[in-house]
Amino acid sequence: MAVKTEAAPYLEAFRPDASEPAWLADARRKALAAFGERGFPTRREEAWRFTSLRPLADKSFKPGRGKLELKSAALPNGVWFASMARTLAERPEIARRAINESDLAGGQPFASLNAALFGDGFVFALDEGVTLDDPMEIVHSAAEGSINLRNLIVLAPNSRATVVETYRGKGAYWTNTVTSVSVGASASLTHVKVQDEGSEAIHFGMVRATLAPLAAYRNFGLTLGANLSRQDVQVAHGDGSNADVSGAYLQRGDQDTTTAVVIDHAAPNATTHELFKGVLDDRAHGAFLGTIRVREGAQKTDAKQTSRALLLGDRASVDTKPELEILADDVKCAHGAAVGDLDPAMLFYLRARGIGENEARRMLIEAFVLDAIEAVEQPELRNHLASLVHDWLEAGR
Amino acid sequence: MTDTAQALVGDGYKYGFVTDIESDTAPPGLNEDTVRFVSAQKGEPEWLLEWRLGAYRRWQKMTEPKWANVQFPPIDYQAASYYSAPKQKAGPKSLDEVDPELLKTYAKLGIPLHERAALAGVAVDAVFDSVSVATTFKDKLGELGIIFCSFGEAVREHGELVKQYLGSVVPQGDNFYSALNSAVFSDGSFVYVPPGVRCPMELSTYFRINAAKTGQFERTLVIADKGAYVSYLEGCTAPQRDENQLHAAVVELIALDDAQIKYSTVQNWYPGDAEGKGGIYNFVTKRGACRGARSKISWTQVETGSAITWKYPGCLLEGDDSVGEFYSVAVTNNRQQADTGTKMIHLGRNTRSTIISKGISAGKGQNTYRGLVRVQPKAANARNYTQCDSLLIGDRCGAHTVPYIEVRNPSATVEHEATTSKISEDQMFYCRSRGLSQEDALGLIVNGFCKEVLKELPMEFAVEAQKLLSVSLEGSVG
Repeated sequence: MAVKTEAAPYLEAFRPDASEPAWLADARRKALAAFGERGFPTRREEAWRFTSLRPLADKSFKPGRGKLELKSAALPNGVWFASMARTLAERPEIARRAINESDLAGGQPFASLNAALFGDGFVFALDEGVTLDDPMEIVHSAAEGSINLRNLIVLAPNSRATVVETYRGKGAYWTNTVTSVSVGASASLTHVKVQDEGSEAIHFGMVRATLAPLAAYRNFGLTLGANLSRQDVQVAHGDGSNADVSGAYLQRGDQDTTTAVVIDHAAPNATTHELFKGVLDDRAHGAFLGTIRVREGAQKTDAKQTSRALLLGDRASVDTKPELEILADDVKCAHGAAVGDLDPAMLFYLRARGIGENEARRMLIEAFVLDAIEAVEQPELRNHLASLVHDWLEAGR
Repeated sequence: MTDTAQALVGDGYKYGFVTDIESDTAPPGLNEDTVRFVSAQKGEPEWLLEWRLGAYRRWQKMTEPKWANVQFPPIDYQAASYYSAPKQKAGPKSLDEVDPELLKTYAKLGIPLHERAALAGVAVDAVFDSVSVATTFKDKLGELGIIFCSFGEAVREHGELVKQYLGSVVPQGDNFYSALNSAVFSDGSFVYVPPGVRCPMELSTYFRINAAKTGQFERTLVIADKGAYVSYLEGCTAPQRDENQLHAAVVELIALDDAQIKYSTVQNWYPGDAEGKGGIYNFVTKRGACRGARSKISWTQVETGSAITWKYPGCLLEGDDSVGEFYSVAVTNNRQQADTGTKMIHLGRNTRSTIISKGISAGKGQNTYRGLVRVQPKAANARNYTQCDSLLIGDRCGAHTVPYIEVRNPSATVEHEATTSKISEDQMFYCRSRGLSQEDALGLIVNGFCKEVLKELPMEFAVEAQKLLSVSLEGSVG
């Protein structure tokens, strides 16, 4: 089988670990072969047409290792919150759920690469009926090399929890995460991710969420860091489940970020809400690809998607592709997309009240982004995200 | 489906008759000799033959686009005949000399070609299969310096204009189907409106594919010189046949400073039967260039026919302050597939574009809006507004929306809105309780849904379009 040139260094870096269970070793080999054959996606592929992988292709990262910290309040019974390495050793039956067919098929090359090479990650599993008020916190920091993290969140029926992931670091490195999420019947998960990687870093994150009937899933992503980043969120609905997938990306300098969301309504009565806000300064580039798919028989679907971008820099640019694929008739689907500068009338209003031009602009940008953060229900978490946005704006003064 | 509805569906395509008329047809197949044959049949100059051959050579290296949301068995391009001309005594001087069979066909189609043309105030350039048969009102237009003739005649008599503008908006190698058209295009219409002239009547072409196993490759070129205005109408029908027929047309519009072109299409090619047998493959490239400052190009289309529609009329907004508009209604019923939309490319400063698209899916139809709005770095203060609405009738059809928005200038304002809904039971109940039949109620609601687009059509077309919408959707409820 032919191996793509850009894939070769990663294939060579593959060192099977003899202590791992046979199913994992087998999956790793298959996933690696799939990646080798597929190589990096190109811009000729629809899902990657707005993402230039040059910064990644120009370097070939050696395997690296970051620092993974898991923080939580005292946990009651029925909660498993540990590193992937520990989970593999102690609870392999849970860890097994972190890998699925799409890793082996090769359709998502970076997920396949991740399956083959991942060293660690976090696993959070909640038993039926357990509810946690305090968030589980995961902080990852990196400095060099390519780091593949495989994460897993499993909520049994009627459970409730909040997970906050933060990625940061310094130096030139590449973080590639895959997070599998399963929300059980009537369970509720709030899943927040802050991508605040170092300015020379590359960050790819993929979330695959499966929702059981009446499950509620709230995903919020705040993208601030990295030179090149991409966030994929894929949600498969259950009957009557509810998904809110929202986020904000703030980029400046030469930063380039892509957000790609695919919501699959295969079951009836489910609702989706999406709101994305982008702020692009200097020469930054942002892309938003959002697909809402309503399959045959997914009646009573109610889906709404909004994406808005502010272009601040003279050479900033944005690409948006909000897509609807609808094969059922009794549905309500809408999407809206807008690109522009700040509303001059709003600026005038603030200026007329004696607020300086720069301050007025900053206030309006902040308000523009906070609108998306409203999707997060917990006030402390919302304040935390708002302060990160505020800091980002202050840093640009 | 009710018996009445069934009867109506059976009756659905009322343009499905074949005119028995002798025609000169090229043997099937496509190679350089075919291109030479087509060119020689039309007595074309050397430069045009070379241009065609250039397109053919490019086409050979190209592959069919696969990105559209349409499915069809592979087309055998060697099985079709690329030229079909009705046999007639050379050069009819007036309508009286035109073959009466042809005139009868047009009468059945309801085109006001003869005296009715005068009443309707429409100048018609009728394309029967591949050769333009008769052009009315030519003299009247001639007084104003307006050239309105068949493409073949334009090549003979206004060669310089054709040479200057042909392929300047849609280059030979633009895409697979436009390259094919550039190689073998048979005839079409040519319009030139001189500076400062407002064309006093709607210009109209009625296309009709008649002969079996022929593709129709017409070529339309409309040029509005500085300060000129022209409104152009295009209607299309084809006989009912079991095999699929290919229609790969190219339309190029050029608007210079302060010029305006309004281009309206009512497309009612045979859509195939309820099981998807037969029907036209309508793979068309239409593009307008707003070359001059303050120029404006407006596309309006009502697409009810064809088995498959692949069509994206677009505007290149090159001139400062130029305006592009796209108003579309696309209907898919039974097994029809439509992948249609527009491209608005903002290049000049203060350019504006508006896109209003209404997609209606019924039966097992698949309807896709695919559009691109691109604002290039120099297009300061560009403005776009897009609205795409889909209406679903029945639970076995599909409606898809695939807009691309690419903005490279921070002063641009781009807005896109899309909704999908079904005909509400409340609306139906309201109409039914006032004594309207199911079919009439549907027609009323659909026409209301499409109103924003239909009001852009010239009056006589708007009436036809409304009727077509109702006919196309017959049998889709109840």
